[in-house]
Amino acid sequence: MPKWAMVIDLDKCTGCGDCMAACKLENNIAIVSPEEANVGRVMFWMDMITTYEGEYPNIKVKRIPKPCFHCDNPPCTRVCPVYATYKNDEGLVGQIYHRCIGCRYCMVACPYTAKVFNWYEPKWPDEFKSCLNPDVSLRMVGVVEKCSFCAHRLIKVKENADMEEREIYDGEYSPACGESCPTNAIYFGDIDNKESQVYKLSQSSRSYREMENLGTEPKVIYLSKRE
Amino acid sequence: MPKNKQLDFGQDAALYRPIYETGKGFYITVCVLLAVYLWALYLYITQVYYGLGVTGMNQPITWGFYIVNFVFFIGISHAGTLISAILRLSKAEWRRPITRMAEVITAIVLAIGGLHPILDLGRPDRMLNLLSDGRLQSPLLWDVTSITAYFTASTIYLYLPMIPDIAKLRDRGTKLKWFYNFLSWGWQGTAHQVKVLNRAINILMVMVIPIAISVHTVISYIFSMTLQPGWHSTIFGPYFVVGAIFSGIAALLIVMIVFRKVYHLEEYLKEIHFQYLSTLLLIMSLLWFYFTFSEFLTGIFGSQTHELHIIAYKFTGVYAPFFWGMVICNFVIPVIILSFKKFKTITGIMIVSISVVIGMWLERLNIVVPSLANPRMDLPLGIYIPSLVEWALFIGGIAVFMLGFTMFAKFFPLISIWEIEEGRKESIKDVEKRLRSYLPGKET
Amino acid sequence: MHAKTTYIAQVLSISLIWIFVIAIAIWIINLLLISIELKDVPGASIGISIIVIPVFFVLAGILTYVFIGLHKEEKKIIKSSQE
Repeated sequence: MPKWAMVIDLDKCTGCGDCMAACKLENNIAIVSPEEANVGRVMFWMDMITTYEGEYPNIKVKRIPKPCFHCDNPPCTRVCPVYATYKNDEGLVGQIYHRCIGCRYCMVACPYTAKVFNWYEPKWPDEFKSCLNPDVSLRMVGVVEKCSFCAHRLIKVKENADMEEREIYDGEYSPACGESCPTNAIYFGDIDNKESQVYKLSQSSRSYREMENLGTEPKVIYLSKRE
Repeated sequence: MPKNKQLDFGQDAALYRPIYETGKGFYITVCVLLAVYLWALYLYITQVYYGLGVTGMNQPITWGFYIVNFVFFIGISHAGTLISAILRLSKAEWRRPITRMAEVITAIVLAIGGLHPILDLGRPDRMLNLLSDGRLQSPLLWDVTSITAYFTASTIYLYLPMIPDIAKLRDRGTKLKWFYNFLSWGWQGTAHQVKVLNRAINILMVMVIPIAISVHTVISYIFSMTLQPGWHSTIFGPYFVVGAIFSGIAALLIVMIVFRKVYHLEEYLKEIHFQYLSTLLLIMSLLWFYFTFSEFLTGIFGSQTHELHIIAYKFTGVYAPFFWGMVICNFVIPVIILSFKKFKTITGIMIVSISVVIGMWLERLNIVVPSLANPRMDLPLGIYIPSLVEWALFIGGIAVFMLGFTMFAKFFPLISIWEIEEGRKESIKDVEKRLRSYLPGKET
Repeated sequence: MHAKTTYIAQVLSISLIWIFVIAIAIWIINLLLISIELKDVPGASIGISIIVIPVFFVLAGILTYVFIGLHKEEKKIIKSSQE
């Protein structure tokens, strides 16, 4: 079984936010009004953490793209009362929108604040309605959603590989954020495969994972010289 | 005391009178409470219709008032059954006029508190998923099972000791005879029946104590089973139980004082009952402080970054007024008032009880919100301002409690009549005998 | 006649608690089976069900014990008063 993982090279990342936009379009994420977004109900599966260090003339800005970390030992799946969030054999942490009862316990349990909730019925401007992605199911009001590592793309990739009777090659399956990144800072692949680029990068001395001390074993690995 | 005595109530007139004589005040109270309830219900329907967006909750602070009130109400419900079971078990004779009220509080508040997680659901229509696809491994399901068990046990524990009183009402036969006849289960007060009933109550009171403790422990597990700083702590189980009994006693005292006044029960609820209960309240206050102190000291001494963030947020940040308010309400006021005989009057006890109930509610708020407002990733601080809907459902919950209690008092005696009679007839002898057995020398 | 309808109603009400308790037992066993099927920490489910199911049955048992105990006595009294 492959184990899908993501590597984000923060030394290459310019913080442009293209990944966020690509993600939003790819996954039919609702467009939240600015007023709602200001009270903390903004919906991003791929979020961008922005921190400022130092005082005015010498400000250091850090921009870190943050998807769901698809932990190998996820705290969210353990607390779900109805099995609406689960980890599959390939290490993807999925969300079943039609089963979710909206208790938001998984959001509370996630140390990375990776999940978002549909506070109202999701809405799109009219122009968007004609270009919704048919591969991704639309969510309804009152359910939790989060980054799926574009699992719908994996289905297509698998079908193609099956048809051509071959294995999935490294880099064939990539989520929308990785594909759109202008500086190629996002890598994606099978971390159990010793030949894959993701595996090689994860062994780099620059690599780190968020809050490794919690034992959640996130499958998103950051590369950075700064830390 | 009304002068026109139409019915002869006998010795315990004050206990029967509220059931047979209905004043204007009763109808006004019921109407007001019903109106509040309907208003809250209307706002809840808007929440179901529009989604949870009508509340003040948002992304880092995904749990708000509903979970706070859930923990708070369930905490209050520990007044009853636990206290009355402990008092019965320890053969405290002064329990007799108190137990019934305590048990009623439990049954009503537990039903209200138990429904709160449903208010919190984004999709209440999918509640039944819990039946078909529930995961018993989730702490939320532990709650569902333990609260159901506690509710069943406490309603049975309320009902069984009420059977002899129901039979008394049946034998008067002036009001709802069929109803009391149905509920009295053929009680005639024979020796065998008394034996059966006492045996059942004894088994139940032993069972109810662990169930009650498990309920609040399991509620604390909802928080402590996650990895969040400020929640992930082994002390949470006993801390919540102590807090629950603490707020429970305070609520019981408030109810006792109010109904003593309204129903003229001064003969039954004497100063001494309040003295004893308030001593218990003082002990719980000190115990609560001890737990709070150890909880925060371990956090500060260990000084993990995220843990310290949250503690600083509570001590000096946005939540400082709520945190210090909680310390004043739960520790400073009770200790000052209850330590001095001069202040320990009924009014003083009422002030302490109200302050403790408010303080314990603040404690639940201090546990739930600050941990969520400080996400571990470098995200901005969350801000939580509860909306009208959340306030309305909180007030509505309190109104339903008051309504339930008033309605109960209209149909059943609030003080156990047969236990008072038993106390008059037998306990004095019993206690004397018991006392002799404690003393050195031969029993006679 | 009136006494008899009351008695029937009482028996019905006491059987409600048994329906409730049995439903809870079925529910918990259902969840247990699901967790075994999904290999989703069945140990925890087994532990919980071992504690919970007997508690509910004991509660219903106590209620029934009182019901039967009280009614036996009532019948005796009625009989002796008729004689």
